[in-house]
Amino acid sequence: MSAQQDNHPLEDWQASVTAARLEKCPQSVIEMIPYASFIGAQAKIENDQLLYWLDKRPSNIGNPSLPALHGGVIGGFLELAAAVEIIYNLDITAVPKVVDFSLDYLRAGRYKTVYAKCNVLRQGKKLVNVTAIAWQDEENTPIATARCHFLI
Amino acid sequence: MAFDMTMALFRPALKYAMEKNGHGKTLGLKMTEINRGQINLTFPYKEEVVGNPLTGVVHGGVIVSLLDTACGSAAMTVLTTPAVAPTMDLRLDYMHPAEPYKSIYVEAKVYRQTSNVIFCRGLAWQEDKENPIAHCVANFMKVDSKSISFSAIAVNQLRRLIPWGERSSSEQDSGK
Repeated sequence: MSAQQDNHPLEDWQASVTAARLEKCPQSVIEMIPYASFIGAQAKIENDQLLYWLDKRPSNIGNPSLPALHGGVIGGFLELAAAVEIIYNLDITAVPKVVDFSLDYLRAGRYKTVYAKCNVLRQGKKLVNVTAIAWQDEENTPIATARCHFLI
Repeated sequence: MAFDMTMALFRPALKYAMEKNGHGKTLGLKMTEINRGQINLTFPYKEEVVGNPLTGVVHGGVIVSLLDTACGSAAMTVLTTPAVAPTMDLRLDYMHPAEPYKSIYVEAKVYRQTSNVIFCRGLAWQEDKENPIAHCVANFMKVDSKSISFSAIAVNQLRRLIPWGERSSSEQDSGK
């Protein structure tokens, strides 16, 4: 039985994504990616837009003396958010492949919850351009912005 | 190469700070080489950080963390005064997906530094360094700081491990 299931991982994946869209539950999409639970990323729908957040946890600290979040975790979180945005919102079949990723750090990430929102700027036949923005206190004081290209 | 006393003292502090703390510890990365302006590290494959559950390929976010750690550490090795080097920006190009179950090797180099900015390049590969999985450029600011330094982190960690002399206020309160 399990061998048969393993033969169609892509179909299982697509079925799970479709189910998540029907239930309007982006959290189940994010849970399909092991890296999301590794850093503790979560997602929900707020005002018809996907909102991602990352609760504070000791394993995400980069500088223990401040303490501050690891810059790589903020980057990884934004890349993950951008990928989930594509998987959940766009009608594609496979898992998007990241081509490049550019990240600007604007403020230090303090040891508290980080929020993120993404915006798909362009969807072509092959390439998707997504921007992501991360903040902690208020949306208009972002701690980092990112821009990535995905092949679909 | 002449013996570099500062590096000899700095090396274990940096290795400790990166491998035994927070996200570096959670990732399980190993710093294999620490020299002035150059860092090499190794990341053994982990199933927890998979980004594509269909193929078992690690998530791009891990490569971001590895390269950010390596470039940031490389930037710190060139600081000559008490200072910190926060990341300004980082750009990553993924040349091809990482292969599952194989270690990822990372090398970061400082290729230029000015009075305010440190410019770094990083490379991540698995079997062939000539055929890398990702390349990155990252820039760091030089910000003077007397309070935040690696020696301070090391001392804080030691204090936590060995509670010598000082008694914390809570202990004093409870002792009354």
